[in-house]
Amino acid sequence: MSFITSHLKQLKQSRRTFLIGAAAGLTAGTVPGFLPTPARAAGDGPTMAWSYRNRSNPYWNAIASGGEAFVESLGMSRDDLVHLINEGSSEKSLADVVALLAKTSGNLALAIDANDGPNGRPVVESVAETGGFVCTIWNKTDDLHPWDFGDNYVAHASWSSVDPAAQAARVVFDAMGGKGRVVGLGGIASNPPAIERRQGMMDALEDYPDIELLDYQPANWDTQKAAEVMASFLTRFGEIDGVICASDTMAFGALEALRAEGLVGRTKVGGYDGTKQAVDLVLKGEMSTTVDTNPYWAGGALLSLAWHAATGAFKPSDEPRAHREFFGPSILITEADAAEFKATYIDATPTYDWTDFWGPTTPAN
Amino acid sequence: MYELQSVDKMFPGVHALKSVDFKIGRGEIVGLVGENGAGKSTLMKVIYGAYQPDGGTITIDGTAVRFQNPRQAMDHGIGMVFQEQSLITNLTVMENIFLGFEAQFVSMGVINWSKMAEAAGKQLAKVKLDIDPGMVTSKLSFAQRQLVELAKVLTLEERIDGDLVILLDEPTSVLAKDEVELLFKLVRDLTSRASFIFVSHRMDEVLELSDRVYVLKDGAVVDVVSKTEANVDAIQHKMVGRDVDKEYYREQRQTDFRDGVLVSFDDVSLGTSYRNISFELHAGEVLCLVGTEGSGREAILRTVFGLDRPDSGTVTIKGQPVTRFHARAGVERGIGYVPRERKIEGIVGGMNVYENMTLSQMQNYSSNGVLRIGDEKTLARSWIERLGIKTPNEYKDCGGLSGGNQQKVVLAKWRSGGSDVILLDHPTRGLDIGAKEDVYDMVREMSADGVGIILVADTLEEAIGLSHTILVLKDGEMQRLFNGFREGKPTLYDLVHHMI
Amino acid sequence: MADVQTERQTASGGMAFGLTRETVVKWAPLLVLCVLIAFFAIMEPRFFSVRNFARIGISSAPALMVAVGVTFIIIMGSIDLSMEGTVSVSAVLFAFAFLALGGTVASWAWIALPMALIVGALIGFLNGLVHVKLRIPSFMASLAMGFVGTGFALLLTGGDRIRIEDELFRSLLTVRWFNFPIMCYVALAFVLIAWFIQSRTTLGRNFYAVGGGEELAHASGLDVNRVRIMGFILAGVFYAVGALLAVGRIGIAETATGNNFMFVSITAVVVGGTALWGGIGGVWNTLVGVLIVNVINNGMVVIGLPGYVQQGVLGILVIVAVVLSTDRKSVSFVK
Repeated sequence: MSFITSHLKQLKQSRRTFLIGAAAGLTAGTVPGFLPTPARAAGDGPTMAWSYRNRSNPYWNAIASGGEAFVESLGMSRDDLVHLINEGSSEKSLADVVALLAKTSGNLALAIDANDGPNGRPVVESVAETGGFVCTIWNKTDDLHPWDFGDNYVAHASWSSVDPAAQAARVVFDAMGGKGRVVGLGGIASNPPAIERRQGMMDALEDYPDIELLDYQPANWDTQKAAEVMASFLTRFGEIDGVICASDTMAFGALEALRAEGLVGRTKVGGYDGTKQAVDLVLKGEMSTTVDTNPYWAGGALLSLAWHAATGAFKPSDEPRAHREFFGPSILITEADAAEFKATYIDATPTYDWTDFWGPTTPAN
Repeated sequence: MYELQSVDKMFPGVHALKSVDFKIGRGEIVGLVGENGAGKSTLMKVIYGAYQPDGGTITIDGTAVRFQNPRQAMDHGIGMVFQEQSLITNLTVMENIFLGFEAQFVSMGVINWSKMAEAAGKQLAKVKLDIDPGMVTSKLSFAQRQLVELAKVLTLEERIDGDLVILLDEPTSVLAKDEVELLFKLVRDLTSRASFIFVSHRMDEVLELSDRVYVLKDGAVVDVVSKTEANVDAIQHKMVGRDVDKEYYREQRQTDFRDGVLVSFDDVSLGTSYRNISFELHAGEVLCLVGTEGSGREAILRTVFGLDRPDSGTVTIKGQPVTRFHARAGVERGIGYVPRERKIEGIVGGMNVYENMTLSQMQNYSSNGVLRIGDEKTLARSWIERLGIKTPNEYKDCGGLSGGNQQKVVLAKWRSGGSDVILLDHPTRGLDIGAKEDVYDMVREMSADGVGIILVADTLEEAIGLSHTILVLKDGEMQRLFNGFREGKPTLYDLVHHMI
Repeated sequence: MADVQTERQTASGGMAFGLTRETVVKWAPLLVLCVLIAFFAIMEPRFFSVRNFARIGISSAPALMVAVGVTFIIIMGSIDLSMEGTVSVSAVLFAFAFLALGGTVASWAWIALPMALIVGALIGFLNGLVHVKLRIPSFMASLAMGFVGTGFALLLTGGDRIRIEDELFRSLLTVRWFNFPIMCYVALAFVLIAWFIQSRTTLGRNFYAVGGGEELAHASGLDVNRVRIMGFILAGVFYAVGALLAVGRIGIAETATGNNFMFVSITAVVVGGTALWGGIGGVWNTLVGVLIVNVINNGMVVIGLPGYVQQGVLGILVIVAVVLSTDRKSVSFVK
């Protein structure tokens, strides 16, 4: 269970909160007041909604699927989940939420990515005003906290990329034998995850004095762009020992640039995001590693928190702050545990106990 | 006193103004007449600063001036009321009046609208137009817009110390008769503040309004007549009065047309464009449509070509009553159209000679959609030789040919495609004398070959010289059909008498 | 009188001025390409190597197909912005069919290849139909159709990627003849086809006629609407070829396969000297334009300049290219 171990290892105390996932299964039984969830007929509970960018991105698609899985776990149809698609617009995000609140008179359990930090506050405030319940992920400002809103702002989850990215880089560096020349492909330069993941790689580099970073260029999360930049790197530097990519999408591009030159397997490739294809490639030995943030779980768990708070199954204000603002789990996938990860998370859609709010990454079956 | 002394203006290949002397005194109304191409527009553009003369001097009250652009001319009190109305229709009346001069109403970076409205009201009062200055211009009638244009020009009065000279370019073309009367009265009233240069095709109006009339012909002033001594006939004689050289129009080569009817109109009407038109075009006949701009000449051409469906009457082409009206049908019926706007409708610039020639008949030069470029080139070479098209080779870009040679390419396109009815819309417009003669040669040749030609000529002499038959139109109505070749050609005065 | 003067002015002004200017306009893009190559080669000799040219070839091939497709449309004086959606749909449908029919070119799955082209043609047909029959400007019609395409691709995949791992299909990328992967030759073959269509068929001639003067094409009896629809169909086919090469290059078909093609292809067409108002230019211009864009992208990384500089340089280049190739028709000669 090395990936779980490494997962546990990386769950750390954040500067403002405590990472709940560390408790994993241990805390599950100890959190008080969790009633068994009875199957419910559609319509007699609060309306459930997920608000996010759109489904064409695999990450948000997984989030939405997790949300649907939770809804189905209540014995309802997946269509009972309302999808609020903001398409990258904070204005639309807020307007949709306000409209839904009006329609449901506040009888709402909402999970939302507010699109940008400043939009978090108006969303939370409008939900709280009408008596709805909301969980947020990723975007909020640092001065916005669930405990300032009583029970209505149930929880906030985000993910730190720095440490997982550092671990992923270490896997690549180790695969290179601890020495050689690497290049990096980053996301859109101003994106926080792009910054964090680059930072993670830089942190790891400090431990490997024999590894030289030749260049780090943004490839905008784009597969084709990554292939083109990687090809140019090969012209400039000749054969390269490793490439650290801030996302799987870019790792795929880098890999194909290497394939065109017959370098697959010789140049080590690290990705991020734990996508299915990346896991397959790790299994085949073409990639060294990727990092899963388990969006599927996040999609279900955040909605579950909001729904259970709305139904009174637990009272958020009784929970410690660490349960209300936390880092979600990340799972490092390497050649050694890729098969196991695939069997558990990809081939068999994991069934989670959605009431095990803060101890999520252990599948229930 | 505004004065031009021996002003010349050259364009490449054209001597557009030849030593023109022109003056206008305070409070005077001066008419300017001439045929199309006589130089009226060029002269006006020189006066209001859009063109700079190549020779001669311009003086205002004895001081020599030189305008780089119309704005500088305006600063010297010269304003232009455009024929094609220059108002921006989605702006309000006052915005139009002060367009470009809003600064006077700006305080602290903000336009003071009420101040502007008040000032605009004052201008509108000058032209006795009682409308809300805040009204959107598109809601005004054409006559009202004409007056707003005038009001706009009259803002010069406040800005300029000296006298004003205002050019009126065809101001009556869009006006009804009573509106014309009003405009004239207004202009006369305004002579206390400005002098006017009045340009119009309508000879009677020019005579009615003007104190003196300048007659332009071929870029030169051929006469200046004062109102008392002028009459329409005399002026017209001077306008067109070159001795008609029969050789010029190849009249000795003119042969009688044949019996076969190619196109016939039987009591055909289309909206306000033309009414109750009947004629027959025979093989080898050159039928000329004569009338002023807007008399229905072009509209009839469009109907023959198949673009516009008439409201009533029967159009018959080669014995078949026409029911389908769109361009392709016209081409299929063997009708070729040589348009006035050669650059827009005649040749495709950027395509070469042979590509232009086969454009209307590609099906004949392709198999299964693949072009037989060799055949195209052969065709082009033969027509280049036949029409004497001056081009280095058949793959030269048509856009680089001279106007006359472009015209020949257009004719070759239709002739080579077997069209036996050719519509010529001002075919010699913008061509120099030599190129015109080439076109006349081609007209004779086509006529001899039995091609029926409907012509809208550039000048009346051209119409008389080239045609077998002349149909005179006025305001969309047939005035007279001269069967000139068989019964004796009409004179210029016969035609003008029916046109106006 | 007014138009007499201006016409003469333009005609003779064009002739006196034309030779030099037209020559400049005609050869400017190629000159720019050569200068760029020389520049990068001097800055970093490794740029000037067969291996690197092969890399530029790989990155150019899919974009070249898309750009050639849109070239036809731009020659007609229209614009097509549906390429991203069309590429995504073609790629995704191809991938589904390919896997369903056996997953290797050696099986019946080869049928997925022509099928993808038909999909492209159908989308193009729809595009043209909407544009011509509903009289919506091509810009709007195609942009909307592009969004529909992207949405449809998303619906099909549910946001997933489809990997194509068939080695025979991937030999587009992995097998090389004379140092260049097969996809470069495929792209070149389609450029030749496009050139044939452009210069040797009535359809190609019609594109130029419609772009050079729609009124005239109409007055010469061309069925302008039919020509337009055919243009969009043809463009759709080339987008689909681009989609196949993109899948061949990355081994993945997904909604994002179409990303960036709009910017790259339109930039390449304009930089190559095809005029946006139609009638002028052609596939060779587009080939040069695509190479310019990709040489810059490659060269900037090879000489070690940061990515954001590339974007700026590309932007400036577009402006320079438009300035160079504009105003032949324009205002400055006609007062």
